[in-house]
Amino acid sequence: MKILALDTAVSACSVALWRDGGVRARRYELIERGHAEALMPMVEDVLAAAGERILGLDLLAVTIGPGAFTGLRIGLAAARGMALASALPCLGVTTLEAVAYGIPEAERKARTVLVALNSKTEIIFAQLFLADLEPLSPPLALAADGLARDIPRSPLLIAGDAAGLAAQRLTESGIETALSSAPALPDAAVVAAIAARRWRPGQALPPPSPLYLRRPAAIPAKNGGRR
Amino acid sequence: MIVLGIETSCDETAAAVVTGEARILAHHLLSQLEEHRPFGGIVPEIAARAHLQHIDRMIDRSMTEAKVSFADLDGVAATAGPGLIGGVMVGVMTAKAIAAVHSLAFLAVNHLEGHALSARLIDKVPFPYLLLLVSGGHCQLLVVEGVGRYRRLGTTIDDAIGEAFDKVSKMLGLGFPGGAAVENAAKAGDEGRFRLPRPLRGRPGCHFSFSGLKTAVRHAIAALPPGPLAEADIADICASFQAAAGDVLIDRSIHAMDEVLALRPETRTLVVAGGVAANRYLRRRLKALCADRGITFVAPPPALCTDNAAMIAWAGIERLRLGLTDGLDFAPRPRWPLDPDAPPAAGAGVKA
Repeated sequence: MKILALDTAVSACSVALWRDGGVRARRYELIERGHAEALMPMVEDVLAAAGERILGLDLLAVTIGPGAFTGLRIGLAAARGMALASALPCLGVTTLEAVAYGIPEAERKARTVLVALNSKTEIIFAQLFLADLEPLSPPLALAADGLARDIPRSPLLIAGDAAGLAAQRLTESGIETALSSAPALPDAAVVAAIAARRWRPGQALPPPSPLYLRRPAAIPAKNGGRR
Repeated sequence: MIVLGIETSCDETAAAVVTGEARILAHHLLSQLEEHRPFGGIVPEIAARAHLQHIDRMIDRSMTEAKVSFADLDGVAATAGPGLIGGVMVGVMTAKAIAAVHSLAFLAVNHLEGHALSARLIDKVPFPYLLLLVSGGHCQLLVVEGVGRYRRLGTTIDDAIGEAFDKVSKMLGLGFPGGAAVENAAKAGDEGRFRLPRPLRGRPGCHFSFSGLKTAVRHAIAALPPGPLAEADIADICASFQAAAGDVLIDRSIHAMDEVLALRPETRTLVVAGGVAANRYLRRRLKALCADRGITFVAPPPALCTDNAAMIAWAGIERLRLGLTDGLDFAPRPRWPLDPDAPPAAGAGVKA
């Protein structure tokens, strides 16, 4: 199975090519902005390094969020554009799953996993998983200050780029926490591995939709734009 | 030559397939108006979300209707600025991705160049020509010397003309967007009833100003008896405002014609483009001016004046013919003047 995976949803930009059970080429850059410029040249690099072309692949995979609105749209627009032009299926993976699946199995053992991602606002994107990474909650957008109220009081292993902040708030509320050694941001290599587990060869998929978790910041006019 | 065009820079999600012989094989457009109407204006984040949701469907429909496969294309053109950057990025990434799959040329089109060259899609207008670009975001007079070669003669120093229409519409309770609403209401109105200013009329140069006119409309409304506005008052205000805006366009266009006659005397055509160029009253007045001056008047049909993807595909074709393709590392540009050498106009801000 050949999979091209992308992530631009948070403060990284990465592309990976999966073939025969493993990642054969990968590019990963930590960038705050400039994903729209960086992504497609990275795709071309990865394909060239693996000696592949898009039309010869089986599947595309992309992170759908939660993350930066503009960032996640860059990866989704690119993935959906490639899927349309190649007639390949495209699978969406959340950024929270992508971080969770980066945690080594030994570290997760007998623990509840919390993935906490920075939204660059007072909100933290969070999701709880069992040790085997079965979701224990849906993806959530939580106020950092109210985190302890929304999280069960059990020993937690925390991953993600807001793990430090989350651990601090939870510890203050008497919850036992440990920080994971896993990468704090999604990585297309992990996205590809998740896609390889989930997709059945030949399976058709609807275009992946974004997971924003937050509404656009806009206030309706008092009178619907009329006087 | 066949090019797919993509437009996502404001509140229209559009795709079109156009040939080198200027045939529009397909053209699909989805207006997001209903999604923005409750906010009384365009909300950039709502626009960007809607573009991502719909653009692939618009492209798919256009390709199917054109009976063209992606591999048959010579290039993919997308508006890469200026505009609401979140939406622009959706169109640009979609175009880059399609280009990457089939190793096609990618063309990053300046939205304003799309408007500027749309006259050549309809009428094969030769260079150079004078362009009056009037829309919700711009109001400019330019000499179009060639593809990618523009000389700006004047621009608005405050509001764009389309913005003035929208604001007058809002003040009168006619809703958003205001262009067609004001034009329709004006039909039954008396344009002589309200004495409104013609900003910069008679002054040297080709710059525009609409903020004083807008304020005068506000004062005129405030001076009316309290309570709901009468239909006749609304019609008279719209007619008076539209006539004032028309006088300004005429006066500034005359200055531009005189300037261009000195610069490039072979310039014998005035093209009007942009969303406000769909206004039939203003078209009529500009056409009469051109007839008086012995100049050819060209205005694309209204559907090609407002934002559309056919003009983006066409600009892509014009650029591709000259080998002006772009790399997949092209950075979308929220600001992108057609004439980067034009001196900044006082007070023009981001709209210059």
